[in-house]
Amino acid sequence: MDAGFAYAWLVPALPLLSFAIVGLFIAPRSRQAAGLVATASVLAATVIAVIIAAQYYVAFPSGGDAIIAWSFAWLEYAPGLTATIGVLLDPISVLLLVVVTVVSLLVHIYSLGYMADDPGSGRYFTFLNLFTFSMLGLVVAPNILQMFICWELVGVSSFLLIGYYYQKPSAVAASKKAFIVTRFADVFFLIGILLLGYQGFQVAATVGVPDGMQVFDFLFLTAPSTVGALGDASLLTIAMVLVFIGAAGKSAMFPLHIWLPDAMEGPTPVSALIHAATMVVAGIYLVARLFPAFAGSADALSVAMIVGAFTCLFAAVIACTQNDIKRVLAFSTLSQLGYMMFALGVATLASPLGYAASLFHLFTHAFFKALLFLGAGAVIHAVHSNSIWEMGGLARRMPVTHVTFLIATLAIAGLPPLAGFFSKDLILAAALVNHHPVVFAVGLLVAALTAFYMGRIYIVAFLGKARSDSAEKAHEASPVMLAPLLILAVLSLGAGFIPVTEFVGLPSDSGHDHHGPAWLPYVATAAGLAGLLIAWVIYRRPTEGEAEATGWRVVLQRQFYSNEVYLFVTKRIIFPFVSAPIAWFDRHVVDGAVNLTGNLTRWSGIVLSRLQTGQLQTYATWFVGGVVVIGLLFWWWVR
Amino acid sequence: MSLVPGLEHWFILSTLFFAIGLYGVLSRRSAVGVLIGVELMLNSTALNFVIFNRYLATPFLDGAVMMIFVIAVAAAEAVLAMAIFVQIFRSRHSVDISTMTEMRY
Amino acid sequence: MTTADWTVTLIFYLLGGIALIASIVAVASKRILRAAVGLAVTLACTAGFYVLLGYDFLAGVQLLVYVGGIVVLIVYAIMLTSSMEYFETRSPTQRRIIGAIVAAIFLVVTVAAFRASEFTVTAMTVPPSDIAAGVGRLLLDQSGAGYLLPFEVISLLLLASVLGGVVIARSPKAAAADASPDIHAPHGTQVEETS
Repeated sequence: MDAGFAYAWLVPALPLLSFAIVGLFIAPRSRQAAGLVATASVLAATVIAVIIAAQYYVAFPSGGDAIIAWSFAWLEYAPGLTATIGVLLDPISVLLLVVVTVVSLLVHIYSLGYMADDPGSGRYFTFLNLFTFSMLGLVVAPNILQMFICWELVGVSSFLLIGYYYQKPSAVAASKKAFIVTRFADVFFLIGILLLGYQGFQVAATVGVPDGMQVFDFLFLTAPSTVGALGDASLLTIAMVLVFIGAAGKSAMFPLHIWLPDAMEGPTPVSALIHAATMVVAGIYLVARLFPAFAGSADALSVAMIVGAFTCLFAAVIACTQNDIKRVLAFSTLSQLGYMMFALGVATLASPLGYAASLFHLFTHAFFKALLFLGAGAVIHAVHSNSIWEMGGLARRMPVTHVTFLIATLAIAGLPPLAGFFSKDLILAAALVNHHPVVFAVGLLVAALTAFYMGRIYIVAFLGKARSDSAEKAHEASPVMLAPLLILAVLSLGAGFIPVTEFVGLPSDSGHDHHGPAWLPYVATAAGLAGLLIAWVIYRRPTEGEAEATGWRVVLQRQFYSNEVYLFVTKRIIFPFVSAPIAWFDRHVVDGAVNLTGNLTRWSGIVLSRLQTGQLQTYATWFVGGVVVIGLLFWWWVR
Repeated sequence: MSLVPGLEHWFILSTLFFAIGLYGVLSRRSAVGVLIGVELMLNSTALNFVIFNRYLATPFLDGAVMMIFVIAVAAAEAVLAMAIFVQIFRSRHSVDISTMTEMRY
Repeated sequence: MTTADWTVTLIFYLLGGIALIASIVAVASKRILRAAVGLAVTLACTAGFYVLLGYDFLAGVQLLVYVGGIVVLIVYAIMLTSSMEYFETRSPTQRRIIGAIVAAIFLVVTVAAFRASEFTVTAMTVPPSDIAAGVGRLLLDQSGAGYLLPFEVISLLLLASVLGGVVIARSPKAAAADASPDIHAPHGTQVEETS
């Protein structure tokens, strides 16, 4: 316990305090004040988080140990089985602390401008604070129980924020969809936690729990001795796959991805914060957090790799055909999350390059994707439309937005020396180093596709002529919105040079190859350039809107009909064949039993109250009858 | 002079009185009728005491003392019952116990 | 059996028959006054039983207190609560049948219990001669083997019931007059007398 980090609990606590104060007292009175207080609290949290990061880096320059900065016994079931709330500081949590607070701060500032005209912005900032608190609590969680609680809390705040425009039926539907799909995945997560906890308990019985640790602590679950013992447990693979399903739900991996594109119904800064930079990477973070346990089961990691790679390709292909700028970005997010997931999947304990690469990509992606969303938000704010075919020629009217968006586009396309180049390069290298050529090929293809669809929306939205009247009259956003864009642009430019990979390595790293082959950066850059070039060739002419999609492009535009498949499965199969019988059972058998109990009580009451006639002789009759019966019983007993 | 008839005869006789009194208590509508039934039962009890005293413990007189007590209790009970009936009759002009159901709840 | 035994048995059944008929009249008659007469006859026959059993003193007590006191009290109650021509409305048949069934079951169970029990009959042929004196000694016995305390309790009970009877049966008007010191109305003397 390093006393120097004892104040770390302030980082999540400040937004929580602010959430309560703003939500209860300030928001109903003044929405301007609400925004300012909320932003100030996140600013304070950010400052503290950065100080912690610096202090941590000074203390452990080479990555170093995990420390529990602060801990509080919350539920004491039994010795060795105590649920604690605490703050765990290790390289990845410090990294995430910085990312979450910085992006959250910038989004708060941006929202001050973006939501300035919205009468409900007090509520908005309250929820935003709640989300920030939950996400920070998730990041610093020292045990899987706290993580699960915060996991659900971010789900709730995501639900609240997606449904922020609750007058819009589509927003309400989207929020419900997001909540239900992630909840569905969380059920598996919870079962996985229970299985894992059970096994941890079994292991604890043999290996023993170190002092000051609990069974559910990550430090215990990922300790080498525990992992060694866990590897023998037959249920480990099942437990880890279940945990992975939870992670896949939150990180919108195929086939649980369907909620994320719809989640774009929320305000754009929310999309930037929750559905691009922070919450959706919680799944990646969870897998990374439990990576040693995952590594104990090769099958679980293979599942992560296959699902990640497939999502990566699948989403990138769909993104090429979407016309809603936020949907393109949403599918892009899916695709990038797929990158991170398969990077984790290809890593092993001995050769954890993918692990570091995944977190590196998480770090850089947070900045450039938030920048893309915020830039898109500025554009939408100006044009009042989400369709890229109603934009065009915005480069001259919104120069700052244009430049920052361009930087972000190049960053995600993976051009050097921008942030995305380094991390994506590392992921591809990890796939090669650990001998997964197919995954590598997918990654390279997706790199080109990414460059293509990003180039497409950039070219269509910013270059050429204005395609609508509102695009014609668009003007630059207010300074309070531009400042975050500029800061994020700087981060997107420079984040790649921060040596994150040195910082987040695993102690089990056996010093394998940390770089791919020398030709890799050239190939990756070439793929990105090729994508951009194709986009340029196709979309440079100022067409009057894209022609009606035909043939296979319809399939793409409809996202491979995944929504339709879900609707079919739920409405045609689950509802009539599973839910309806269960509902019938519930209504008639369960409710029937409940009603029967009630009615039985009532009926017996009615019947028994008949006895209460007030007729003296009826009572006397019963009395004598009772005496006779008791006498008979007594007699029989005596004999 | 031997002791005739047997104990069983006496017992059945007194129990018959008791059962008849019980029937009266259970079936009469008039409160006075119920009181008459109660007196019959008390009388049969007193008779029973004396019978058993005579047949099982002739040298002693405890059963006879009990018979005196029973009569005393019966007298006290009759006094109070009569007073109550008079008062009820004053307010209701009837002593039909099947209509006295106010204290049901 | 001697002739005396035959005579006693005959008297027993004769008295028993009369008493049973009278008691049935007492519980079944629609005219409540007739029922009271039935009760009186039953009680008188019971006095006869006491004589048969050899307890002459008890027969006297029975006649004096029961027939002479309680029955008269009941007759008073009848006269105060209904006219002489009062006919009782019968209970519903169902109630009477149930009452009869319960009473019959009680009879059967009690007799069965009696038969199943063993009694060692130690009866002497001659009952004690000085019953009145014996009873008196038992009632006033202070050695602990007697009934001094119950005797006193019974006397208290009788006193309480006499006072209670007066208080309960007093007419509301008389009670109100009694409560107010200004009006010196005569008390409900008749009620007091009947108690």
